[in-house]
Amino acid sequence: MPGLVQHLFTNYYETAAVVLFGIGFTTLLMHRNLLKKIIGFNFMDSAIYLYLASKGYIAGRLAPIVSGENADPARYINPIPTGLVLTGIVVSVSVTAFLLALTCRLYDRFHTLDIDEITRLARKEQV
Amino acid sequence: MALVQNFPFITIVFSLTCGVLCAVLPGRGAKRLCLGWLALTTAMSGAVLRFTLTTDGSFLYRMGKWGAPFGNELRVGVLEALMATAFSGVMLLSLLGGMRHIFADCEPGKVNLYFTMCALLMSSLFALIYTNDLFTAYVFVEINTIASCALVMLRSSDRTLVATTRYLIMSLLGSGLFLLGIVTLYGITGELLLESIAEKVQALFAAGQYSLPLTVIIGFFSVGLAVKSALFPFHSWLPDAHGSATPSSSAILSGLVLKGYIIVLIKIFYRVFGLEIIVSEQVSRFLLLFGVLAMLVGSVNALRERDLKRLLAYSSVAQVGYIYVGIGLHSELGMVAACVQILAHALTKPMLFICAGGFMDVSGGHKDLAAITGAGLRDPLGGAAFSVGALSMMGIPFFAGFVTKLELARGALEAGPVTLGITFAALAVSTLLNALYYIPIVFNLYTRPRDGAWAGVRQRYHWEYAAALAAFIALNLGFGMGSDWVVGAIRRGLALFGM
Amino acid sequence: MGFLLLLPILFPLAAALALCLRPLRAQRRRRAFTVAALALELGLTALCAALAGGTLPLLPLAEGLCVTFGIDGLGRIFSLLVAFMWLLSGVFTQEYMADREHLGRYHVFLFLTEGALMCLCLAANYLTLYLGFELMTLCSLPLALHTQTGPARRGGYKYLFYSVFGACLGLLGFYTVHTYGRGTAFAPGGVLDPAKVAGHEGFVAAAAFLAVVGFGAKAGLFPLHAWLPAAHPEAPAGASALLSGVITKGGVLCVIRVVYYQFGAAFLRGTWVQYAWLALALVTVLLGSMLAYQEKLFKKRLAYSTVSQAAYILFGLALLQPTAFAGAILHVVVHSAIKDGLFFTAGAVIEKTGQTDVRALRGVGRAMPFTMGCYTVLSLGLIGIPPLGGFASKWLLAEGSLASGIPVFGWLGPAVLLVSALLTAGYLFPITVSAFLPGADLDGTSAPPLEPGPWITLPLAVLTALTVLTGLFPGPLADAAAAIAAALC
Repeated sequence: MPGLVQHLFTNYYETAAVVLFGIGFTTLLMHRNLLKKIIGFNFMDSAIYLYLASKGYIAGRLAPIVSGENADPARYINPIPTGLVLTGIVVSVSVTAFLLALTCRLYDRFHTLDIDEITRLARKEQV
Repeated sequence: MALVQNFPFITIVFSLTCGVLCAVLPGRGAKRLCLGWLALTTAMSGAVLRFTLTTDGSFLYRMGKWGAPFGNELRVGVLEALMATAFSGVMLLSLLGGMRHIFADCEPGKVNLYFTMCALLMSSLFALIYTNDLFTAYVFVEINTIASCALVMLRSSDRTLVATTRYLIMSLLGSGLFLLGIVTLYGITGELLLESIAEKVQALFAAGQYSLPLTVIIGFFSVGLAVKSALFPFHSWLPDAHGSATPSSSAILSGLVLKGYIIVLIKIFYRVFGLEIIVSEQVSRFLLLFGVLAMLVGSVNALRERDLKRLLAYSSVAQVGYIYVGIGLHSELGMVAACVQILAHALTKPMLFICAGGFMDVSGGHKDLAAITGAGLRDPLGGAAFSVGALSMMGIPFFAGFVTKLELARGALEAGPVTLGITFAALAVSTLLNALYYIPIVFNLYTRPRDGAWAGVRQRYHWEYAAALAAFIALNLGFGMGSDWVVGAIRRGLALFGM
Repeated sequence: MGFLLLLPILFPLAAALALCLRPLRAQRRRRAFTVAALALELGLTALCAALAGGTLPLLPLAEGLCVTFGIDGLGRIFSLLVAFMWLLSGVFTQEYMADREHLGRYHVFLFLTEGALMCLCLAANYLTLYLGFELMTLCSLPLALHTQTGPARRGGYKYLFYSVFGACLGLLGFYTVHTYGRGTAFAPGGVLDPAKVAGHEGFVAAAAFLAVVGFGAKAGLFPLHAWLPAAHPEAPAGASALLSGVITKGGVLCVIRVVYYQFGAAFLRGTWVQYAWLALALVTVLLGSMLAYQEKLFKKRLAYSTVSQAAYILFGLALLQPTAFAGAILHVVVHSAIKDGLFFTAGAVIEKTGQTDVRALRGVGRAMPFTMGCYTVLSLGLIGIPPLGGFASKWLLAEGSLASGIPVFGWLGPAVLLVSALLTAGYLFPITVSAFLPGADLDGTSAPPLEPGPWITLPLAVLTALTVLTGLFPGPLADAAAAIAAALC
């Protein structure tokens, strides 16, 4: 057990990422307020980016932007995770935009941000 | 490299292009472009299928000629080509069958965006089928999610709005777990291409290292993708979403979208971990258990429904359970059964939804079971197609559903006695429940309404509706009677699918 | 001559299609068409029985699975029975339902069910048998639901429920035979491969038991019997007759095929499967008789009687013994004739008098002497009084039971059969007595003659004659059955 705690402290980025992921996931799942769900989703995704970025980081090296001099891989951190993070950010932004648009429409229609309340009101409508 | 080998890449990328083009074309033009492109992709996938069958092997397609482990790859074998052909054919027929409803349900001026979403969905489905890279899979899973949520939203009503929101939220939970699994696996192995990961994973298992993290990762993948494909108990979003959307959307969502995620799961099980490790990790036990529960719970809930489309949606929950039972059987034959059910359900459920749309047309737009009394008399082709679908769901020989049950039974007979007993019992009860809610509907369709409602109404057969239903019926019967060929192809494909 | 096998199956389907496309509204035309078609079907079946041989693989569904038809001794007996009873019921229906609605629909499904039953009788492997069984259920369901009243609907869906469940259990048997056997074609003595079965006997036996219970549900074997009294009385009398008399025998045929031609009598003899089956059959015999005894609705009483009598047949089959087998087959024919006749009588009486309760049938013998006379003869046959048909079959059953050497059931069987015979007398005879001898307080002299017309009385007469004939000359049928049994047990 002390070894585990030791590991958790050494890899504090990853630990923080997982904790943040848990917070975000739970918020997305449990909260009734739509905006808080969206925030939770962003927490979740940002946690993943933190994890990825920390995986790519190698202490003492530069950002992987080759400028002029010979491209020696040993000078730079691992570029792949940062590429993944970029892709992930795009995905996260698109999904957040979609969710926000839906939230706007829902609020216009039902005047509440509470998803349970909205579900109850919508069930009454005859489709 | 033969021209045919470029087709998978072309279908993915040019579907994206088609989607973009549809966004700038007017409604009718977008429809023609999308349908035309879908027909073309079906033909191209068919050509790829023929190619893989004749060469009897799978090939790797490197994007940009970068080799592993740096480049991105597509891997194309018999199973992938078969799924791609089937999916794009079914999407084409689903769009054709529900075309009138698409134009009727949509806000004017925005129909072209629907076709954009369909094209994007097709692109992501192709990508999920062909991809050999884990992160690409994630990206296209997200594209899949967004596109399918947009598909539900075609009809802007309260119900679809709420259904879309709940669908999106549940989907994102699943995606989050899936992404966490990918990222952790990357953290452990440092690879993203499936074969490269597999080598590292095998080495780790052999050395006994990281066994707990790997088990947890398998759990993340399973739960994440199970949430997205509406396995019990994560199915609560499905009836609302599939039940309130326009018939084409319901058909595509039920028949194709759910399956895309399951194909990714099967791919991960086969190519990253390998069947032996999955078996030893006992993860499949839970999938089997939840699959059985899904079969029962889905059918029981369907029995209580009075709304035809929600009933069909609950029936989808049960049918997805069949697939997971096949996966959970721990064996090669079980996976064959799962793939057979993927295809069989993809052929049957869209047909049922298109018929539901047709029945709505001749019943004044209502879709509850009382209102569609006699709809089979007013819409003969729709009634016939629905009957074919119902018999297929029950598992009568000559129809697609019987092949599924046969293969599942074959798979179960190889497993241990407890698994065998549970599977057989679940199959029997599920068939019974299916009969209980489908047969009364079929009889209801052919009973004249007592109060003479909708007496003179007749279905006006647009060629699209009639052609789609006729094609679905033919495919269903063809699958049921010629299943030898398909099952053999699936077996070959699965053998090539692995490492 | 393989294609001859298809004629009895396809002809009713063609007739149904013809009726669908050109519904005959005029009563005379429809009557003529129906009777002619059913008679022609009987002729085709006889032709097939006489001349056809070999098997006809028709439609391959998957590797090793092909819809195949063939004919053997058992198939001949059953297919001729089906065609004959269908003709009689068709004739009966013409007058019985003369002024009912939806006759076109009734006739279409009548023909479809006959086609499905022929598919069942002429099946040469398990898959075709299962297909015929399912089709039989689906096609006969509209007949049960015909009147579309509340009780009819409930009865009909109960029928569907039990039948589909039974089919599922039968399907499990199919998967088992397919995996552990040398193929699923019917072969006397079974097709199980000892090498494959070794080590899995328990499972294979369980599958066999489930298949028997499942297919036996169609014949009303306890515990899946509850649909019979719900569905049979609600259907029109012609359909009830067929459901009780013929379709139950379809279930019996499936049981015979599965036990004797797939799993093999040798495999099941002496196992727990046989004992459980015997126990269930005897329980059903007693249960059906007792429930019939205290049931007051005429048609429901007859339905319970079917439950009981069909269990006689299943009991005989469970003994896995040649004499009992012959008795069972004989009882199939005899019971079919008698039960059809009884339902025709019940239909005629209910139609003419409007009474469904047996206590209200006092004195009806004066108004309908011929009908009630036939009823009396048929009842005597069912009870098992020599020299009528029922006696020969029950004698053979008892003889087979005693000769089988099975502990307990060997003597328990005949004892239960005897008790059941007494109960049968108890529930059938009082109707006759109160019909002809209503008591001094009922004035029977001014009863108007309610005798039904020739379309009803003729089939009744034929069936009564058949009962008497099979009682007087059981030889040919019993010998044929014994010949089949010799190869099986």
